Amino acid sequence: MSTKKFKYLSKEWAAEVEKRCKAKLSPEKMKHITSSMSTIYTNCPDGKTRAVFYKLTDGVVETVSIVEGTLPKAEFSITADYDLFAKISRAELKARSALMSGKMSLKGNLVKALTLSPTVDRLNEIIATVPTEY
Amino acid sequence: MTEKMLTKDNPYFIDFPKRIKAIQKAMAQHGIDVYLGSRLRTMSWTLDAFCPWRSYIVIPPEGLPTAITFVIDAARVADDSWLDQDHILGYGPMGGQDQVSLLAGLIKPYLKAGRGVIGMETGMGTYLPEGHLTLFEFVMLKAAMPKASFKNAHDIIDELSMIKDQGTINRFKEASRIVDIGHRAVLDAIKEGGYRGMTETEIGGLAAHAMRKAGSEWEWSFTGGNEIASGYRTGLAAGACTPASRRKLKTGEPLMVDLHAMFRLGLGDHSHNYFLGKATRRQLWHAKNFVDLIKLCLKTYKPGISPTKLADQMLAFTEERGFQDYMVPGFEHGIGLMGDEWRIGMNDGPFEYWTNPDHVYRKNEMLICAVQYACPEENIGFRYENPILITANGCEAMSKFPLSIDVV
Repeated sequence: MSTKKFKYLSKEWAAEVEKRCKAKLSPEKMKHITSSMSTIYTNCPDGKTRAVFYKLTDGVVETVSIVEGTLPKAEFSITADYDLFAKISRAELKARSALMSGKMSLKGNLVKALTLSPTVDRLNEIIATVPTEY
Repeated sequence: MTEKMLTKDNPYFIDFPKRIKAIQKAMAQHGIDVYLGSRLRTMSWTLDAFCPWRSYIVIPPEGLPTAITFVIDAARVADDSWLDQDHILGYGPMGGQDQVSLLAGLIKPYLKAGRGVIGMETGMGTYLPEGHLTLFEFVMLKAAMPKASFKNAHDIIDELSMIKDQGTINRFKEASRIVDIGHRAVLDAIKEGGYRGMTETEIGGLAAHAMRKAGSEWEWSFTGGNEIASGYRTGLAAGACTPASRRKLKTGEPLMVDLHAMFRLGLGDHSHNYFLGKATRRQLWHAKNFVDLIKLCLKTYKPGISPTKLADQMLAFTEERGFQDYMVPGFEHGIGLMGDEWRIGMNDGPFEYWTNPDHVYRKNEMLICAVQYACPEENIGFRYENPILITANGCEAMSKFPLSIDVV
């Protein structure tokens, strides 16, 4: 039995992430948070920089989109190499460990970010379930 | 629960936005594009919050400042401060969230093409938690903003904070009232032989308990909280710092009780002295010298006098009475909201970062009237400390505990 794989950071991959988040993450589970976050991938395999933009309203994952060029304004932005993000997406590395190593950079209010980190972990757990071709 | 929203009719109200605007006006006059404060006194004076961890404040040319502190305390500082949580950020060991990255991120928007003047706070001090920018911090910030220039600018805040506003004065008065409660608790505990079996640390603790019950936030002094000395420790040569020890109190010995309370960053600091159980004529002679000197000292503080002029008068009195050998020759130390201790006035004296002996006191300056008597060869000494407010014609001692050296 073959499982369809989505190309990492493709529009289809983002749509699948959004679909799964909406299905699996209830507003209660996401603590009814309203926030936005850009994960900025540097050194993608094609040499480009691109971002995934997440928008949550009252705990509902409203948008997961791929952005190239000008980024929409986000409450938090996290920047790292493509390879590092790929490890997190494959659940091989925890985002917190990556941040503590200094290989990943966070912009935004750290106090709020730490409060939100368990919900971001839940988001990453969903991303890890998406069959992905890196 | 936050108590940040003090209204103008509250006796402890301080207009912090006005302070920030005054700093910004001075920044413009000094050609400073953005101010980076790091001293504890600066944090207290601008934030209205106690910042026990390494903290910084970035003051832009206009608008609200942003402070950063260790992330474990950022939410509490924001809860205490008049600034909201978007202007009190936490730093921690994470990419983009370390001190230098955050500071550079806050400062850069106020530099033009990376160029501009950053006001910083550097220098040296006797006070360990002063909080001057460290060499390492400076080097790292310079590397992050290589085209910017740095200018030592702490004089701006030192000047603005010298004359105390009514809210600050009232906070000090309340802290002093609380200290008096601590002294009353000590007296009640040691009188009629109650001191027997007690230790210096116990005296410090029971005073702390009474003061905390009365609303003190902590025994703020970095010298070990409440300083308690008994016997020979009261008279250590040229000494004026006695963290409490486990020494037991003994009959016939002096006891020095130096209490510290904090109320909304206002600082109480008052010392009282006793003889335990009995005193010799010689001990009482020392005590009378000391009390008479303090009375004269409090009469002498007024606008227009300087530390040198006051010391000359006091030392003349000690010579006249024959106890000059026992005086530590200083009669004051500086005081302001938490973190502002030791130096008086501006850094404009003959020795960098020490009190200018020719500093001329003005109305509504505050200082600690601080006098230490030490006779090591007789194992006896006394200390007087009391926050005083320079008034139009003299001074007001804020702690009201009666001045005396009693045999208890």
